[in-house]
Amino acid sequence: MSDQAVIVLYSFTRNIIGLVIRPYETYRRIVNHGSRWELVPLSIIIGSYLGIASLVKVAAFRPYILTKQFVVLGIAVVITYGLVVGLLWMVGKIVGGKGEVKILALGWAYTLIPTTFWFLATSLLYMLLPPPRTTHPLGIIFSVLFLLFSSVLFFWKIILSYLTLRFSMRLDLFRISIVFCIVIPIVALYSIWMYRLGIFKIPFV
Amino acid sequence: MKKNNRQAFLNRWKETTDIPVQTVGPFTPYYKEVTKQLKVMPIPVLITVSIIIVGFLIYVFGSSITKVVSLLQRGF
Repeated sequence: MSDQAVIVLYSFTRNIIGLVIRPYETYRRIVNHGSRWELVPLSIIIGSYLGIASLVKVAAFRPYILTKQFVVLGIAVVITYGLVVGLLWMVGKIVGGKGEVKILALGWAYTLIPTTFWFLATSLLYMLLPPPRTTHPLGIIFSVLFLLFSSVLFFWKIILSYLTLRFSMRLDLFRISIVFCIVIPIVALYSIWMYRLGIFKIPFV
Repeated sequence: MKKNNRQAFLNRWKETTDIPVQTVGPFTPYYKEVTKQLKVMPIPVLITVSIIIVGFLIYVFGSSITKVVSLLQRGF
């Protein structure tokens, strides 16, 4: 059991480093040899983020409210993940995709790495340098760096999303574009709903 | 040993040819060139593209980008 845990942790760490250095090869490996157990360390990382986000949002050590906030965020993340995987799977199948839903789910889970990293960094920066930003030179420098950081993670996320559909559903660029054109508006509507509920201002996709 | 190498090669070949080759008509060479840059260590390319985009945003919005950042910072 402990050997398996070490192997999973090793594979997960190797995949995370690979997603930065060699995303194409790494996704091929995830799809062909990945294990659903790799979702466990990923869930722990996301759970840690949700804990920090709850603390920052509630801004008080009140166990009941913190637990409630944590549970609400956790449920929202799980529902969003399920919704996106389900939509990608259905639309991908309609446009001629092949493969298994569990492989797609694993591939999409790895795209949550840049998402989690952005949300974690943003919540920590919120504590260290709370908004609003001013037009003071230091405020502008911070804004530029923050936008650069967000933009790099956003494009990284796009690459990983593309590779997920490319390898787990064996789709080509044209079909992947169709899938995104259908799925993105639906997720946008869902995000507006989440925003109105006050759960996520920016969707945890 | 020779058989192992052959098998490893065949496995690798199978993996590589598992998904159809991507072509985009007359743009295929450009597509290949772009994807070649993104397959290995894409971060420098992403930073370059981001610098261009953020530079454009600063040019268009000036110091008002701080408002966008303030909104994003509250987005988690």
